[in-house]
Amino acid sequence: MTIPLLEIEDLSARVCDKEIIKGFNLTINEGEVHAVMGPNGAGKSTLSYVLCGKPGYEVTGGSVWFKGKNLLAMSPEERAREGIFLCMQYPVEIPGVPVTTFLKHAVNAVRAHQNLPELDTMNFIKLVREEGKKLGLDAEMIKRPVNVGFSGGEKKRLETLQMSVLKPMLSILDEADSGLDIDALKVVADGVNALRDGRRSMLVITHYQRLLNYIVPDYVHVFADGHIVKSGDKSLALELEETGYAGFIKEK
Amino acid sequence: MAGLVQNIPLIGAEIPWLRQLREAGIRAFENSGIPTAKTEAWKYTKPRDLNANDYIMDSRGETVTPGHFSLPFDGYRIHFENGIFDPEQTELPQGVEVLPLAEALLLRGETRGYLGRLVDLKRHPFAALNTGYLNEGVFIRVEKNVDLKKPLILINHTDSCGRNLFFNLRHLLILEEGASAEFVEIYHYGGEVKSRYFANIVTEAFLAPKARLQHYKYQAEAFKANHIALTAVDIETAAEYQAFTLQKGANIARNETRVSLRREQARAEVNAAYLMNGWATIDTTTDIEHLAPCTFSDQLVKGVVGGDAKGVFQGKIHIAPHAVKTGGRQLHKALLLSDTAEIDVKPELEIFADDVKCSHGAASGELDEEALFYMRSRGIGGEEARRLLIDAYLEDVIAKVPDPRIRAWFEELK
Repeated sequence: MTIPLLEIEDLSARVCDKEIIKGFNLTINEGEVHAVMGPNGAGKSTLSYVLCGKPGYEVTGGSVWFKGKNLLAMSPEERAREGIFLCMQYPVEIPGVPVTTFLKHAVNAVRAHQNLPELDTMNFIKLVREEGKKLGLDAEMIKRPVNVGFSGGEKKRLETLQMSVLKPMLSILDEADSGLDIDALKVVADGVNALRDGRRSMLVITHYQRLLNYIVPDYVHVFADGHIVKSGDKSLALELEETGYAGFIKEK
Repeated sequence: MAGLVQNIPLIGAEIPWLRQLREAGIRAFENSGIPTAKTEAWKYTKPRDLNANDYIMDSRGETVTPGHFSLPFDGYRIHFENGIFDPEQTELPQGVEVLPLAEALLLRGETRGYLGRLVDLKRHPFAALNTGYLNEGVFIRVEKNVDLKKPLILINHTDSCGRNLFFNLRHLLILEEGASAEFVEIYHYGGEVKSRYFANIVTEAFLAPKARLQHYKYQAEAFKANHIALTAVDIETAAEYQAFTLQKGANIARNETRVSLRREQARAEVNAAYLMNGWATIDTTTDIEHLAPCTFSDQLVKGVVGGDAKGVFQGKIHIAPHAVKTGGRQLHKALLLSDTAEIDVKPELEIFADDVKCSHGAASGELDEEALFYMRSRGIGGEEARRLLIDAYLEDVIAKVPDPRIRAWFEELK
């Protein structure tokens, strides 16, 4: 039997002394796309930050295994190098650091971890251009400082570009559709779908069903009060759209 | 071995004006003494170490290992070892004269008219001390309308063989009307890392009408050393002075710049960056005098302070009563990398004229934790991410270096 890509067992976590994640369980195998849907304040973003090791998010119980390794013992950069990527809801602006410099450091850090030789500037630019072209991105974007002065749509496009270049084993999308028009949404979805190769997996965290029309999940989970209250296939998302979250929260 | 005032042989002791100037320097230093916390101009920077009485001033005859400093650009090199001129053949173009100061004191009578003119001995105790030992240094004269294409590069290498050297360097730069030059000063060390030597430097620069001087300095002294420097610049009609200093070394470092914008359309840009750790104090002090209408000054100073280190910025802009339609800007920004790092900032505006545009500002902050996490979440290591953010922080001040070759060099050094 193959090891699951991600195995979350009875995870609890808190932020600022407030328990947000309570007894969360989820297993993602290679090649699967899971959607986690939940109302505002359910702890969706907290879950994504805990998985990426953001400082300030304290795990109080349970365990997380990534490719059979103890994820919680790793630093944020080790998690990224192992193949976890968080497509952030609010990407951070980094004045003075051009996208190329930032992304080149990231690519080479991941490559070094995989014992691959460093990409020189020429080959790196070539790679970024190719991936950018597939996503229909403006080539000028990579010369600008990371996210500085970017519109909401541009920020998500840049997140998608990073994901396409870094090719993570597990992409976590945190409200990837928030504030996006339909064109930008399609760029993000195309980027994610291009990575669906039967091995790579996705964890799509979202509020609305809309995104799931473009990134079709294999499994849908309803997340409320810090844990999963119901799991099903993609039809569950449609059901949620009809009934809202209230009914599910009561079920527990 | 003794304190900072000792009898050592100096060239031209028989020349009356020179003897008098030196004596006045020593007297002024002895009157003021080493500044203490009560000295307003030295409120934040305490050169206590200089009270030591084991200084060696006459290091001639010592065997030193000459230090090499490789540079990514070409220029006319002027070498000093432990503050002593190190003769080296340098082909100079027509219209520029470079002499060891000791030689210029004997051969160039005009030095008398320039030396000490811009230094108030009562206000600057270390410059007074430097005047007392006026001997070593460089004399540079760029003739009328000569545009020196390659920079003049002064490199002082200190290898104090584990003992506490004290040396004075005095530089005199004269740019005649319409002359244009770049002057790069580099202070570095070799050998004993823990050496507590003291480098005391005074540079006087005279810019005749329409002259242009780009003045760059890199201070990378040993981490227990003291480096105290005063640069005084006199700027005539439509002449322009552009300075950038990067300080990374020494335990106590003070880089003070006094600029006199003497005639209309004189301009000065005094920019600096500093990076430090450990217990060091790095002090950037400026005093810009607008003495004529339509004169302009601009200062941007940025620091990165870690460990238990202390960054000091004292910036003064003085606008004389008749100096209308002038503009003076000043901004200091610092990045604090630890809870124990300290920044002391003292901006001073003295404006005695109407119709002027002046501004000053100061800001300090920490590394953006969100940006750090964002980078780490992409696989970039914590240290590397910090490095990238620090580089980005200093980017705008280094971008102000007008010469692209020298700008690229500072990009690498920072």
